[in-house]
Amino acid sequence: MSRLSDRERGVLRLQRATSRLLSPLWIPLFVGIMGYWMRWRIDGVTEVRAAYRRLRAVPGPLLVCANHLTMLDSFVIGWALGGMGFYLRDFSALPWNTPERVHFASTWWKRILAYLLKCVPVTRGSDRAEVARVLDKVGYLMERGEVALIFPEGGRSRSARVEADSAAYGVGRLVKALPGCRVACVYLRGEGQDAMTDVPARGERFHASLSVLEPKSDKRGLRASLDVSQQIVARLSEMEQRYFDDRQ
Amino acid sequence: MQASEIQEKVVKILTTYVKDQEALAQVNGATNILDDLKVNSARLVDVVLAFEDEFDIEIADEDVDSVNTVGDCVELIGQKL
Repeated sequence: MSRLSDRERGVLRLQRATSRLLSPLWIPLFVGIMGYWMRWRIDGVTEVRAAYRRLRAVPGPLLVCANHLTMLDSFVIGWALGGMGFYLRDFSALPWNTPERVHFASTWWKRILAYLLKCVPVTRGSDRAEVARVLDKVGYLMERGEVALIFPEGGRSRSARVEADSAAYGVGRLVKALPGCRVACVYLRGEGQDAMTDVPARGERFHASLSVLEPKSDKRGLRASLDVSQQIVARLSEMEQRYFDDRQ
Repeated sequence: MQASEIQEKVVKILTTYVKDQEALAQVNGATNILDDLKVNSARLVDVVLAFEDEFDIEIADEDVDSVNTVGDCVELIGQKL
């Protein structure tokens, strides 16, 4: 699917190599911050990690799609999917992210962080050509065996629930362009997370679950992409319903 | 179908999604859909799907990437008709 130039591919490979080289420093640092300083805990982490390892054992493109409630979801999801040792052994399993440029690449130190943390920033509301360019980059990485994480609602949920009408078409386009692409739907929610926030509370206890989807669509063109996106969001919505049912 | 006729229908479809109705009154081929008309970027796909329905055409994913202005829409639709 990749329409990237050789230079763009080279830049991404260099970013990956740099991030990999420094990963023995930054992975323990971030795991330490989440586990010891923020004192976050994740229920269901054993099952989620086992399911993710099984997915990684099978070759082929793999996309992680998750609900989105806080600006640090990608950190917690990465932690939920694998531990420090797992990522140091299988660095490609640590998902790439597509953060909003305004939030994560607005200052030099954030840009360095975004670079090291496997990010391809995107400008929300930008023209389709730029969004397509980001999708091309993510697709190229996935073709090379990297995993990517995308929030299919396109942003944090204002209602604090999975918003079925907010399916971002680009996710479906990406999945459709990668034959055999599997989607690991991850539902993550902190027990105290009643509304969309920037940062989860200190001491938060998260619940995580993972469900695998291989979306197919009989439709064509844009409608197929949208259909695939909607299937993914619908699965996340089902997972959310189960989360709340289990708590009643 | 004449380009002017296509543009008329395009503008009619855009009306539903436009936030800046004043800009719509001065619309021309160079009017940018996201910047000038303030259409939500997430809704751009809905706009293109509405074009498919209205003109009975099929638009590929890649075609959407080149849609920035009203003129781009008219040109794309003209190619597909």
